[in-house]
Amino acid sequence: MRSLRSRLIIGVIGGMLLLLTVFSLIVYAAIRRALVNQFDASLTSTARILAASVELDGDEIELEFDAQQMHEFQRPDRPTYYQLWQHDGTVAARSPSLGKDDLLRLEGPLGTPVFQALQMRNSKPGRAVGLKFTPRASGPDRNPQPVKQQALTLVVARDASDLHRPLDFLQWLLLVASGVTIALSVFIATFVVRHGLNPLHSIASEIAAIREDELATRIGTTSIPAEILPIKNRLNDLLSRLEDAFKRERRFTADVAHELRTPLAGIRSTIEVTMARARETTEYQTVLSESLAIVENMQTMVNNLLMIARLDACQVTFRQEHICLAELVNSCWRPFSEKATERETTFENRVPNDVTVNSDRENLSMILSNLLNNAVEYTNEAGQIWVTSHHTGDSVEITVANTGCQLTNGEAAQVFDCFWRGDSSRTDTGAHYGLGLALVQRLIRALGGSVTVELQPDGIFTVRLTLSNSLRI
Amino acid sequence: MRLLVIEDYRPLRQSLTKGLREAGFAVDTTGDGQEGLWYATGHEYDVIILDLMLPGMDGLEILKKIRTQGRKSHVLILTAKDTIQDRVTGLDLGADDYLVKPFAFEELLARVRALLRRGYRKKNPRIRVQNLQIDLTTQRVWRGQEEIKLTPREYALLEYLAMRAGQTVSRTDIWEHAYEFNSSASSNVVDVYIGYLRKKIEQPGKPPLIQTVRGRGYTLGAQP
Repeated sequence: MRSLRSRLIIGVIGGMLLLLTVFSLIVYAAIRRALVNQFDASLTSTARILAASVELDGDEIELEFDAQQMHEFQRPDRPTYYQLWQHDGTVAARSPSLGKDDLLRLEGPLGTPVFQALQMRNSKPGRAVGLKFTPRASGPDRNPQPVKQQALTLVVARDASDLHRPLDFLQWLLLVASGVTIALSVFIATFVVRHGLNPLHSIASEIAAIREDELATRIGTTSIPAEILPIKNRLNDLLSRLEDAFKRERRFTADVAHELRTPLAGIRSTIEVTMARARETTEYQTVLSESLAIVENMQTMVNNLLMIARLDACQVTFRQEHICLAELVNSCWRPFSEKATERETTFENRVPNDVTVNSDRENLSMILSNLLNNAVEYTNEAGQIWVTSHHTGDSVEITVANTGCQLTNGEAAQVFDCFWRGDSSRTDTGAHYGLGLALVQRLIRALGGSVTVELQPDGIFTVRLTLSNSLRI
Repeated sequence: MRLLVIEDYRPLRQSLTKGLREAGFAVDTTGDGQEGLWYATGHEYDVIILDLMLPGMDGLEILKKIRTQGRKSHVLILTAKDTIQDRVTGLDLGADDYLVKPFAFEELLARVRALLRRGYRKKNPRIRVQNLQIDLTTQRVWRGQEEIKLTPREYALLEYLAMRAGQTVSRTDIWEHAYEFNSSASSNVVDVYIGYLRKKIEQPGKPPLIQTVRGRGYTLGAQP
């Protein structure tokens, strides 16, 4: 695509050219017509004077004027010729200066002059008028009624140099004036267009000056034309969104670093303290298994983070399967049953056997495992956990609920944030990084569903999943 | 010397406590902010090692409260937050040092020792009382040219007396600074350990280094 500047300049110049051409043609035509009319009028009056001087005396045609004495026929710089025909075509008279030559016999209706351009003998341009008229009779008493066949044709031709000279001049004048105007308008248009496009350049240089680590800068508001204002505003909006995204990204990275630092500090300090002196084998074993536990927790966290990143980047593929939900819940519960027994937590799988869903087994079980893990972790001593499910229209609703929740409503709204932990004293074990529900939310969205949490005043915490009965692949 | 560790991440808290105890410090420990504040404001700790993100109460809040109550304990902030702003905020609220996780345990020990010396206005890591020399870094003790082997408890007691050499130190002070909160020791134990220490460092024929000030406590070296 050509530049806006050249398009504008070409458009302006092209428009000027067209306008000037049309204008020049109109002016030329009008002036030419006026001059020609004037010329023709003078020619006609000469012809009429001539015609008036023709008398018909019986069959005799008499010219009462002396062509040599008439001023019109005397000018050597502008020769005028005439020729008179009888109605049968015989030449009745002609200017002496014509010699033996004939003028073109122009004939129109009786009394109406007709005009034609012609070439004079000296090859100069000329114009001729033809007039058909009935000559007067010399004696009014003898033949009062002119006879039709006695109509004569008079042609008067005159050198039209006087007419063409101003027209030629006008032609040149218009051409030169148009040329100069076009040339000047190229300069003016270039200047105006460049000046008019200046705000674009200044915005471009402002945008170019924005560095990726300084997204807080905005494009300036001074002297921005109304047409570019929306672009500026949209760009600024885009910048704000980018800034927010970058901030979130940075905070997330900082959070990740922070979350990894603490367990790293734990491992390092455990190992360093242990190595400070010789120890019993059992002590080494304890320290190693403690460190291993920390590493395993870190690994889970990194895996979860990776999964979240992949889900955010839509890099996870799903495989649709027909799943019996009650069985899946049972298999997901198995790893937690021992811990639940220790804490005297009762678990109820209230999912009817006929509830099935078409979804990805692996990811759905990851969701359920995360929810059950949270439930086991945060339920009160001797509390209850239950899972229910039913079909609602085209989707399946699954709820995982537990008693003994100590969150406030405000806190419950934050549970899906990465690294948010309801009860931070649980960081003690280092096993919870606050990624479980963030992962659940992303997984369920990827599977074509949604998740909400509810908190009842009696401390029952319910996670409600709405899962589409088929994958949107 | 008595330290308090307030750190909620159990593996780190446990290893810190173990390492610091093995380095001869009396260490109290907690993983909860509220409890940490209770310890910190109720006792004269030499150094408090404080995590910032704590359940119960934020570390900086604890620091503010310690300072408004006028506690002189040195506070070393131990945290994963490492921005300059975080450090400046911590130090401006009255912390004495700042260490970012993960850290080398050796460095933590060195910083704690430096804070202790600062607390007792000792620039030199070697304390000399007459011909008794104590190296605070290696925790070795000499009388003249002869090195004296002390148990950690004996060393802790001697170190505290040496830090305040020339001053009369009460049994309560010794009990507060050399023994842990949870230990079953009573102030009687102080007298017992003073006895052990005397046996090891006093030399026959020389004036005693540790003097009993009746009704008030003990003094290491000559009284001012």
